[in-house]
Amino acid sequence: MSASTEATRLLPRPLIVTLTAVLCAIVLAPILYIVLASLNSDVGVASGEFWPSSFSLDSYSRVWTTADLATGIVNSLLVCALTAVASALLGTTTAYVLVRYTFTGRLTILRGLVGLQSIPGTLMLLPVFVLFSSAGNYLGLTVIGTRWGLFVAYLTFALPFSTWVMVTYLRGLPRELEEAARTEGASTLVILRRIIIPLSLPAIVVAGIFAFLLGWNDVLFASVLTRPDTHTAAVALQVFGSSQEGGAVPVYSQMMAAALICAVPVVVLYLVFQRYLVGGLTTGGVK
Amino acid sequence: MRQRPLWLLAPGGALMILVILLPLGLAGWISTIDLDQYTLRRWVQAPFIGLGNYTESLGSGLLHSIWISVSFAVLSTLATIPIGIAAALVTQNAYRGRALVRAVFLIPYVLPSFVVATVWRTMLQPDGVVNNWLGADGSLWLSGPRSYWALILVEIWAAWPFIYLMALAALQSVDHEVHEASAVDGATWWPKLTRVVLPYLRGPVLLACLLATLNHINNFTLPFVLFGAPAPDDVNVMPMLVYVTSFQSLRFGLSAAMAVVSLIIIAIPLFAYLRAVRLDVHEEGGRR
Repeated sequence: MSASTEATRLLPRPLIVTLTAVLCAIVLAPILYIVLASLNSDVGVASGEFWPSSFSLDSYSRVWTTADLATGIVNSLLVCALTAVASALLGTTTAYVLVRYTFTGRLTILRGLVGLQSIPGTLMLLPVFVLFSSAGNYLGLTVIGTRWGLFVAYLTFALPFSTWVMVTYLRGLPRELEEAARTEGASTLVILRRIIIPLSLPAIVVAGIFAFLLGWNDVLFASVLTRPDTHTAAVALQVFGSSQEGGAVPVYSQMMAAALICAVPVVVLYLVFQRYLVGGLTTGGVK
Repeated sequence: MRQRPLWLLAPGGALMILVILLPLGLAGWISTIDLDQYTLRRWVQAPFIGLGNYTESLGSGLLHSIWISVSFAVLSTLATIPIGIAAALVTQNAYRGRALVRAVFLIPYVLPSFVVATVWRTMLQPDGVVNNWLGADGSLWLSGPRSYWALILVEIWAAWPFIYLMALAALQSVDHEVHEASAVDGATWWPKLTRVVLPYLRGPVLLACLLATLNHINNFTLPFVLFGAPAPDDVNVMPMLVYVTSFQSLRFGLSAAMAVVSLIIIAIPLFAYLRAVRLDVHEEGGRR
């Protein structure tokens, strides 16, 4: 170990080893449990087994008929992908103006973008629900239970979040290229399309992914605004889970398999974009 | 003087007004009318009752829920601070396998809340694996007084990596000279940690705590998936109360009043957070 790491080391080595081991154990115990339980039999999990008495992949094939998981995953993918694209693109143009120009009310908007991320979801859902249900009564439109309705509802939190992610990125972007383009007579739209969007593509992707994850993780809005045929993966799992108690033999092994399946898209996104996403996590608590 | 292309704000801005400001305003209005399943069809004509919903909400368990929510949020935040800082300290120095440890530390944060809650719900069943370990067969974690601690424990498990991330970012901004100076002074690790390093973390960790507390207070998914709706009395946090009042009891006006009250409670840490967070662009910022 070099002298410089020696100098910056904050804790004695035995303490580091112990703490790391304890923290890893705390994190990994439930993770190990999901994996083992999903490989166990339903009866085994229900009787409180940690280590399965028999291993099989049975739960992974049977869960698709036990719970309506496939519909949920398709709906989640559709709605969240649309939310991601819409909020990332709109967020980029909005953030560009907010970062590069001053005007009255600009600080209020910035404050609003941050503040909106901490508004209780129930406070947003309630009026959205009333508006959507009155669209049926007053305009003859069915909104509740449709994917479009859910998409609009998801914009209420995805749009401010994506915009804020883009604001934090764009304000670190040097303006020389834009200045040069402007002296060449480029219009704002051209600058946006040819300079800002290509330069900030990684951030736009991050903003989109966060919007996607916000939607994927949502239970509140989807549990109210969807019907069984439009429900999301989160609602499918929640309904599956709450239907287990009071029945005959609960199918916990299949439930753990379903939980893992629901986590897969999120884990894949993080693994692929890890480097970009970790920075973004600290800008505004995505959960 | 060049034209500012403020019209570019129009698409995003119009959408935000439509899907955020309009509903928020409407929520305020709903909280003053007597809106339930009978008046929902023609909610514009629902009778105006002023602060009636607010006074009724005080007698409908709102104060109890506020107490549960606030104590749950504060306890969760307090418990995650030492864990998060400890995790940041042990991953500060490079060693073989550190990347793996850091990835492990992020797992609880990356997993969707509804997945975390589903897993813990299964583990905390009366004859589940937690009771097996503890040798306490049949004790109840998901109802009764213990449910409150179950909620806090699961929230701590899921939320500490946020403090860890913020503390880690702050640790990395400590100058190398600071370490060297205290090494030359011959400071042993404990005084060096408490007097030299931790003061650097105070600001960022406080900011993280504000945000974390807000997130705990607003957490709907965890109690909803862990306990179901209606939640047991001991974990009837504000989001659950509002949800059940509106979508199970169908008292929309009453629940809007409750939601507005919860917003007022959140406003205290929220304003502190908004003041502390860097909003504006750097000094050369915008231009006219």
